[in-house]
Amino acid sequence: MEVQTASRVQVMGIDAGGTMTDTFFVRGDGRFVVGKAQSNPADESLAIFNSSEDALAHWGRGVDEVYPELVTCVYSGTAMLNRVVQRKGLDVGLICNKGFEQVHSMGRAVQSYLGYALEDRIHLNTHRYDEPLVPLSRTRGVTERTDVQGEVVIPLREHEVRQATRELVEAGAQAIAICLLQSHKNESNEKRARDVCREELVKLGVDIPVFASVDYYPSRKESHRTNTTVLEAYAAEPSRQTLQKVSERFRKHGAKFDLRVMATHGGTISWKAKELARTIVSGPIGGVIGSRLLGEALGYENIACSDIGGTSFDMALITKGNFAIASDPDMARLVLSLPLVAMDSVGAGAGSFVRIDPYSGGIKLGPDSAGYRVGTCWPESGLDTVSVSDCHVVLGYLNPENFLGGAIKLDVERARQHIKAQIADPLGLSVEDAAAGVIELLDLQLRDYLRANISAKGYNPADFVCFSYGGAGPVHTYGYTEGAGFKDVIVPAWAAGFSAFGCACADFEYRYDKSVDIAVPQFAADDAKEAACQTIQGAWAELAAKVIDEFVINGFKPEDVILRPGFRMQYMGQLNDLEITSPIASAATAADWDQIVEAYENTYSRVYASSARSPELGFSVTGAIMRGLVMTQKPVLPEDPEMGETPPEEARLGTRPFYRNRKWVDAVLWKMESLKPGNRVAGPAIIESDATTFVVPDGFETRLDKHRLFHLREVK
Amino acid sequence: MTTYTKEQVSKLVEGRLDWETTMRMLSMPKDNERFALYVETLQKKVSWPDRIVLPLGPHLYIAQSAKTKQWVTKCDCGHEFGDYRENWKLNAVVYVRDTEEAMTEVYPKLMAPDTSWQVYREYYCPTCGTMHDVEAPTPWYPVIHDFEPDIGAFYEEWVGLPVPERAD
Repeated sequence: MEVQTASRVQVMGIDAGGTMTDTFFVRGDGRFVVGKAQSNPADESLAIFNSSEDALAHWGRGVDEVYPELVTCVYSGTAMLNRVVQRKGLDVGLICNKGFEQVHSMGRAVQSYLGYALEDRIHLNTHRYDEPLVPLSRTRGVTERTDVQGEVVIPLREHEVRQATRELVEAGAQAIAICLLQSHKNESNEKRARDVCREELVKLGVDIPVFASVDYYPSRKESHRTNTTVLEAYAAEPSRQTLQKVSERFRKHGAKFDLRVMATHGGTISWKAKELARTIVSGPIGGVIGSRLLGEALGYENIACSDIGGTSFDMALITKGNFAIASDPDMARLVLSLPLVAMDSVGAGAGSFVRIDPYSGGIKLGPDSAGYRVGTCWPESGLDTVSVSDCHVVLGYLNPENFLGGAIKLDVERARQHIKAQIADPLGLSVEDAAAGVIELLDLQLRDYLRANISAKGYNPADFVCFSYGGAGPVHTYGYTEGAGFKDVIVPAWAAGFSAFGCACADFEYRYDKSVDIAVPQFAADDAKEAACQTIQGAWAELAAKVIDEFVINGFKPEDVILRPGFRMQYMGQLNDLEITSPIASAATAADWDQIVEAYENTYSRVYASSARSPELGFSVTGAIMRGLVMTQKPVLPEDPEMGETPPEEARLGTRPFYRNRKWVDAVLWKMESLKPGNRVAGPAIIESDATTFVVPDGFETRLDKHRLFHLREVK
Repeated sequence: MTTYTKEQVSKLVEGRLDWETTMRMLSMPKDNERFALYVETLQKKVSWPDRIVLPLGPHLYIAQSAKTKQWVTKCDCGHEFGDYRENWKLNAVVYVRDTEEAMTEVYPKLMAPDTSWQVYREYYCPTCGTMHDVEAPTPWYPVIHDFEPDIGAFYEEWVGLPVPERAD
């Protein structure tokens, strides 16, 4: 029996999804519990409370006792994303340049097919423009113009801003976003427009927020900048109110921590942060952050992170201890200017639908999926199309009696009938061989995808450790890593809660970006280098002030903030820039410039090849970056004494017939929680816990280490 | 294989089907029964007893005469354009836009084609006035015979249905 001593609970992670709200608590000794509760969109704080109670019950403790102990809590949720997808945000008014009123409605052409599977992208008839976030009826143009060099060529007509403000209020705007051309090059006109707009609102006696793009996202690309600024007003403001409610409920139960939210740049920010739009997606990022922390603790610099859920397979690479950042990604079918942890996704997951392609006669997976409805094996799902989960149930991979800890019962026979009618009979196969074929196909697709993504970036899988997590990850780990040649394959025992764990691992970090345009030839004179440094330093100073402001809101002193400047750079005329952490804290001299160049060229040769370096083209700095962080408590890895290779008898749950490689075998079932560090389990075996199932087929063996990480290897 | 209800297909015909279902229809391989369901829906919309063999446009069909079993091109309103192998346009009312003035009725000034290069020929039903087609050829070009469908092959090889009876 495990001794449940009074080790303090330190960290809480929240994953508020559309259907379930998961909470994840970590004790000082690294032990953790996961709780689940039905989500409650009307009051998220209640769902979090219920989920917390569910989790803490495992330790026989309650919320009122544990909340005051917590030192840190990180929230991630899908409410903001859903608000955008369902177009249920605030009624925002938009002020733009006169003559450009239609631009936001037209959007970028790419937005008509973002998020589509390849076959739909290449067929024009499926392309579709979503409703704009701001309708034309609440868009007003004002006369002004700043040119591409940042020169004001037409001054702002202030009376037009006043007129526009009055009309937008009249039209029912609950917030006003302002985004003018080239304001990232010269902010004066836009700032003036913002001030005039605010003055007019005061005159009208109307209290609504005003969002100027220069205050948030001073980046080139107007569509991205406008979308992001509008998003801040449209979706983030309502989220702020939700988070305030959550925070208040925590306080009521004695919490002393400051609630933080996972943000797209890979850090966490306060719910009071000015830029909250960047918390729009966070779930999958958590896993990458968690992988990096585990990697640091275990001494792995290169990690292939793989997360397989019901609908998609997400992967990210950590190289030399760092993940890549995309600077203008898309989310919710909108192009945005937010820094986002770069990830690649493919729409194939454990819930993907399986069909026979009527033209080729082959098995086709997805692109749509059963999602939370699992598959036809769950009679209440209302589904009649076979999903990958149905194949797993039929072949004995999953325990029909203990799916999601027994929350729902799966009907094996129902799944069998559907597979027989839809897949097996048309292909002339037995149900088992048809189902096994589906799983082999999925494994093959994922493995190819993983391998292609590693080699396409110029790396070798042999230099990487593969981390596999997500609710369905460990079922497939063997399949998509077999023969891929990874250095090691690791499945954390808390795979299902790994994203929440990762969120709790993230630094309290703000990050601000600004576009700059600097071009310096290879052998430039010192004064040209100094001028470049001056521009960079100017941008850094501006961004640092913003970062420090954010921390001051949360009661930190400016001197507590650790500042990390960075920049985006490319060879002049090339199309892709790289993000570099600056080797210098401030830039002033020609020698500083040379250091900036050296850091860039080193990164370039690591990412591509040193022979591909092209200094003769000269150098462009395209963006300035400022990250600031303060020290926070992070979860510590569990560390238990090793207990020998033989698993304890009480961990053995029995056997289950398991079909693979055209034959049924008896797989030994193990209870994941009862396995001890040092234990080895040889396949065929299935290691079960409430939230996840780890499949170890014949030809594989796994060992649980002292950190409760399973290492999977092939034994031939 | 995805299947759809009669209600969904009739909403599709009316342009009222929700986007999610429409998107699925567009992106998935076509369901086997779609053509039969589609024709059934169209048949309910027309007031005449003749069987629709193949729709040619939103209001134009090849239909099998209930009395003679001959196949004719036919309008919603019941007007017949003659044998299905003939070009129905030759029996339609035509309006040719071949002056700048006529063009500015449909396009803003200077945004229409030069009518010495291109004209519009609009074909209307002589009975109900429904516009069935618009051609945009050079002025001297003969009336275009759009296509001659191989209905036998379509029924038997594509949708796997028996070819409706035909008397010539």
